[in-house]
Amino acid sequence: MSVPAIAISNLRFAWPGGPDLLTIDAFKLEAAESLFLAGASGSGKSTLLGLIAGITPCLSGDVTVLGEVMDPDRPSRRDAIRASRLGVIFQLFNLVPYLSPLENVLLPLRFSPERASRLRAAGLSPEQEAARLLDVLGLDSDGLDRASTALSVGQQQRVAAARALLGRPGLVIADEPTSALDHDTRDAFLSLLAAECRASDAALLFVSHDRRLANRFDRMVELDTINHAAAA
Amino acid sequence: MRAPLLTLAWKSLVNRSLSAGLTILAITLSVTLFLGVEKIRTGVRDSFNSTISDTDLIVGARGGALNLLLYSVFRLGDPTANMSWDSYLLIASAPDVDWAVPISLGDSHRGYRVVGTTPDYFRHYRYGRSRPLVLATGRTFQGRHEVVLGADVARRLNYGIGDRIALSHGIGDVSFAEHSGYEFAVVGILARTGTPVDRSLHVSLESIKAIHVGWDSGAPPRTGTANISAPLTPDSITAVLVGATSPIRVLSLQRQINTYGGEALSAVMPGVALSQLWEVIGAAETAFTAISCLVVVVGLSGILTALSSGLNERRREMAVLRAAGARPRDIFALLILEAASIAAAGAIIGILVTRIGFVAVSEIVRTRFGLELGGNTGLSELLLLVLVTLAGAALGAWPAWRAQRNALADGLSIRL
Repeated sequence: MSVPAIAISNLRFAWPGGPDLLTIDAFKLEAAESLFLAGASGSGKSTLLGLIAGITPCLSGDVTVLGEVMDPDRPSRRDAIRASRLGVIFQLFNLVPYLSPLENVLLPLRFSPERASRLRAAGLSPEQEAARLLDVLGLDSDGLDRASTALSVGQQQRVAAARALLGRPGLVIADEPTSALDHDTRDAFLSLLAAECRASDAALLFVSHDRRLANRFDRMVELDTINHAAAA
Repeated sequence: MRAPLLTLAWKSLVNRSLSAGLTILAITLSVTLFLGVEKIRTGVRDSFNSTISDTDLIVGARGGALNLLLYSVFRLGDPTANMSWDSYLLIASAPDVDWAVPISLGDSHRGYRVVGTTPDYFRHYRYGRSRPLVLATGRTFQGRHEVVLGADVARRLNYGIGDRIALSHGIGDVSFAEHSGYEFAVVGILARTGTPVDRSLHVSLESIKAIHVGWDSGAPPRTGTANISAPLTPDSITAVLVGATSPIRVLSLQRQINTYGGEALSAVMPGVALSQLWEVIGAAETAFTAISCLVVVVGLSGILTALSSGLNERRREMAVLRAAGARPRDIFALLILEAASIAAAGAIIGILVTRIGFVAVSEIVRTRFGLELGGNTGLSELLLLVLVTLAGAALGAWPAWRAQRNALADGLSIRL
């Protein structure tokens, strides 16, 4: 019996002074499962991801990620869990402009010695693993040599995916990572991301409003069906 | 955790090299100014405090120590009274006295004071770190009609060896009582010292006596009454510079002179009197330090601009760092490190620039102005570096706090 990647129960969340944005009684993402979470913008998707990633503290209810409780009273612990065991991909602007593509991939290691030692325990040097991921995700060596800011959006998203996957995290969270990509690039990117998540046994929580992509995932959930606050 | 953040801060600064560079430049300039002012300030103080050195006592008619110092060393103000030649002879023959040089003031040449003395003056007068007077050209006076000029006198009045000059009675800039009919030939010009010696003319005591023959009433003698053949031993002098046989004899010698029953005399130690005088005029020194400190603060304030202006554009970068596992305090520390690095870079470059500049100009300043620039010790430079870096880090706290607050408010969203 493996530990679920995400388990949420009795979550209620509102930004200070705002109405209830999220009311989720139960939500689960199994280990190594890939899930398409569909929702329109403004439906609280990014807020939910922030709660799961431990950046935003949940004040009512429980969020458990990879068996670890995202304790609202322990912000450093949440940050450490994210640094060590989660990968995050944004819609755009995923890269730190003053770091090279390779340094961007290695960025989580600056904040998580655990992630680095996990790589070494597997007999991998971080640089080799980063290069391998970039290669698997289809970033050619030409892209590697360029400044991060000079990469195309598609190349930037590949670097971001490699960063999210470095050191075999248990969960990858992707917030509309393909919405800025054209059709062909999007398909290639999705296939590679899904394949690499499967290969490293990482669960994938993929959030998008574009439901045409849903058939590439194990399961699809509408945010509105689990979130009663939005339905109300 | 610090080292990865430090390289991050460094790469971030390199990425914004223009604004970071300009801020570093401002700090470099302010630190250079501060160190330069410090060098000049300590140089001025040191050269002031060593206007006269190796002279153990200055003796004159009874009066205040500062007054005696002002007229005998700085050639400022008027002596209150003279002391007798007999007292000089007594002091010069005292067992604890190694040497005694008499000086006689009261005449001038175009505003520059004339010092009547003996050739011993050139042998025993010391300034700075025991530096003797050196002749730039010519020789010391030997007879009556000869004068040795200080460096400034020769340069300003454009005198050279062999020129003939007349002295004036009194010490005003414009004197109506010329010692006419008695000319002096310039036989020597002293090298620059940066002390009042540069602004003095030196003649023998006999010359002083000779030009005053018949002036006993205080007015020029009638023609023909002067009796040049009379013995030219001075009746009185203004002050005596005294060197003791041993430093430990100085205090007892001073007491003996101060309590001498034959004449009311004052003996002062030049070092003590000089530091008393510096206390009076040294307030300007504090003002200079305060101003140059403020300039450093102004230079550092550029850090606020440099970091604050980029903060909004950097919200995405901060969100990426947060997503990669950075804690809010890492964001805070990153900006503090950037601020401290800018300040430290400015301070280090400023210290180097000052050192190079010091090597380049100290010789010129010494020969042109007679000012020995003070050296900043490595320790004081290190202290400055630490203080500037800490101040820079402290200034970075405000933008750092704002960045941390933004990062917390933004959560896991990227502002497009």
